[in-house]
Amino acid sequence: MEPSLTIHKGTVVDSIRVLLPRVLRRDVPAADEDTKLMEDLGLSSSTTLELMLELEERLDIQIDVEDIDQDDFATVGTLAEFVASHLLPAE
Amino acid sequence: MTALEAVATYLPSGRVPIEDLAGQLELTPMQVKLFRRYHRLAEVRREPDGTLLDLLLAAVANLDGLRGREHEIRYVLHARTFPVVVPYPVNPVHALCRILGLDHAVAFAVTHHACATGLLALDVAGRLLAHDGDGLALVLAGEKTFTRDAQLVPETSVFGEGASACLVRHAGPRDRLLAYAAHVRGEFDDELSGDPAAYQREYHSSLADVILAAAGKARTDLGDVRLILPHNVNVVAWQRLCRRIGYPIGQVLLDNVPVAGHVFCADAFLNYQTARERGLLHPGDRYVVAAAGAGRGATFSAMVFEH
Repeated sequence: MEPSLTIHKGTVVDSIRVLLPRVLRRDVPAADEDTKLMEDLGLSSSTTLELMLELEERLDIQIDVEDIDQDDFATVGTLAEFVASHLLPAE
Repeated sequence: MTALEAVATYLPSGRVPIEDLAGQLELTPMQVKLFRRYHRLAEVRREPDGTLLDLLLAAVANLDGLRGREHEIRYVLHARTFPVVVPYPVNPVHALCRILGLDHAVAFAVTHHACATGLLALDVAGRLLAHDGDGLALVLAGEKTFTRDAQLVPETSVFGEGASACLVRHAGPRDRLLAYAAHVRGEFDDELSGDPAAYQREYHSSLADVILAAAGKARTDLGDVRLILPHNVNVVAWQRLCRRIGYPIGQVLLDNVPVAGHVFCADAFLNYQTARERGLLHPGDRYVVAAAGAGRGATFSAMVFEH
């Protein structure tokens, strides 16, 4: 199956919720789009990138991270928005 | 005005893919993938049978400008990321001086700016020589990956072995140091494994600030900076930094990240050497050398030079 070039933000948000415990290696309280990745959940820049790798595997997508900025790491919603708008074509 | 008269470097021939380090560094397969995919780290150099003295001597052996001028060397400085780089009582800097006939020089280690200590050592050498009025300093950098802290920057980078040797004058035509800015950040002064997230949150803005501070001191617009010679922690950090300061990522020399990893305080000099070899610097070009030190001695530093 070829990686998809479009994905709904809501699908990414749902996957982030599923993957957070695996990336953080602990139970995570229910997260929504406004949950702050660093302040509320304790993710670092690096663990956020790890989350993106997990998203790539789960959703069969490739994400272009070259333009990612601190603001994109703010909340579950901003990260999902970034992912949904920065998909790379299949290699 | 401090001048960088000559630079030489050495990288061991032994190449170790980061996958081979995963067990030793307790990296998960996902962390290894993250390093390779986003951080663009691929391999580091190691010299398992070589000592730190061997590394430093190999770099000095490539420093042709030193030949016949040993008597002019007043100071030998070893810039260290970690204060302790060999088991006591081994003293590679004193041993190097004995072997090279530099016993007359004042030899000492410079530490406590972590991976930004290479820039501090250049500044210290220039200041000492300016006081003396003449003479040369030999500034060394490079370390062995001999403790866990000296192998991995958690969530950020992998250290590799290598070394650099520079001749520094208090003044001269090349490469002239125009400005130096160093922001010591005591709030992050902790073991590398302390709290990476807190340091990472401030990393980009802090490194951006110090680069802009150095450029401001040198009265140089970033648009007139030909190159940035970075520290080699990883690629994604520089992509984000460039975005923040509006500098083209293509003018940051990141070629050594995948092939050498983070070579302690020698990164800037390895990158300088690569820039020279590739003809990327022309007379009159201004360039920035930038480094961030994490862990003990957390410091963000930048220098502006004119080639």
